[in-house]
Amino acid sequence: MFAHIIYSILSVSFCLLVGKSIEFFLPVLPASLYGMAIFTLLLHTRLLNAQRIQPCIEWSITHMALCFIPAGVGIINHFELIKQHGIALILIIFFTTFLLLTIVGVAYQRQINQHELTTNNEPSNDK
Amino acid sequence: MISNDVVTDLGFALLLISLTLVVYRVFVYLQRKYTKPWLNPMLLSILTLIPLLLFFKIPFEQYYQATSPLNKLLEPAVVALGYPLYQHLHTIIKQWRSIIVLLFIGTFIAIAISFIMTILAVSKYDIAVSLSLKSVTTPIGIALTEQLNGNNSITAFAIILAGLFGALLGPSWLSFINVNSPKAQGLAIGAASHALGTATISKVSYEHAAYSSLALIISAVITAIFSPLIINTLVHFL
Repeated sequence: MFAHIIYSILSVSFCLLVGKSIEFFLPVLPASLYGMAIFTLLLHTRLLNAQRIQPCIEWSITHMALCFIPAGVGIINHFELIKQHGIALILIIFFTTFLLLTIVGVAYQRQINQHELTTNNEPSNDK
Repeated sequence: MISNDVVTDLGFALLLISLTLVVYRVFVYLQRKYTKPWLNPMLLSILTLIPLLLFFKIPFEQYYQATSPLNKLLEPAVVALGYPLYQHLHTIIKQWRSIIVLLFIGTFIAIAISFIMTILAVSKYDIAVSLSLKSVTTPIGIALTEQLNGNNSITAFAIILAGLFGALLGPSWLSFINVNSPKAQGLAIGAASHALGTATISKVSYEHAAYSSLALIISAVITAIFSPLIINTLVHFL
């Protein structure tokens, strides 16, 4: 188990390090997103052992929300802003977030439904 | 020799980190015991820590500095999201074209509408820029805000709110409008509520996690490349 933890930490650190160097030359995305893509790629090409990584990664994804607490507490600094511009900003953020959720969610759900319909029809076409 | 100030600062920082961990741990315990969806450990920890900081008159900058190790863990945590993505890669590869088109349309509409609504409501360019960049992860949002002369602290605030709305209310809203597939739910929440939404929804299932991580990456790329274009075009017309 201990060896698995070391292996997981080293794998993730390596991907993040490669991500940091890519960010240096191509600063379009932050290092962590490059690192995530590289991690996926290394697992897919079996250069990293997915089974050894799994328990550690599952644990860290479960508790990932902890990392957002300090930034979230930062709302403390914006009480003035909320008072000043009233509730309008919060309403706009609320509305547009739900708009984006709805557009992407509904469109992709429709696509999945259509896909399922066609795959369900395939056997009857064969007959 | 280490001066007394350094020792007390370090001690205070450790105290603030421990406080954050203990508060979080208590809410995780409560959530496991009562399994209520609104018992979100992250949200409740934030809501508990804010009054505590205000009561003990601890400035946020000091708290943020003390808890920076937690903040730094965010980078490896985002890398770890590559694991659920890897598990669903074979189904995602088949649909990559339609996923990109869909996220492009959604992101485009959301940026344009946020910008126009804010201009109409408060008629301030910098605030409008900040609000239109709220659905993307913080490092990209802040970088684009600087590039487009927005307001950094408003962007940070809007990003947190967009993340909280999507993370806490997203799953029930999507189920309510009959978007029940984990794939569609994941994609929508990753697109609208970035890493914060992804972190929350990843607990539900690995399929959610995979599609949310995917939307997180693709929306980030789309926003980084096209938001300056969209906003500069809108400025001409408004």
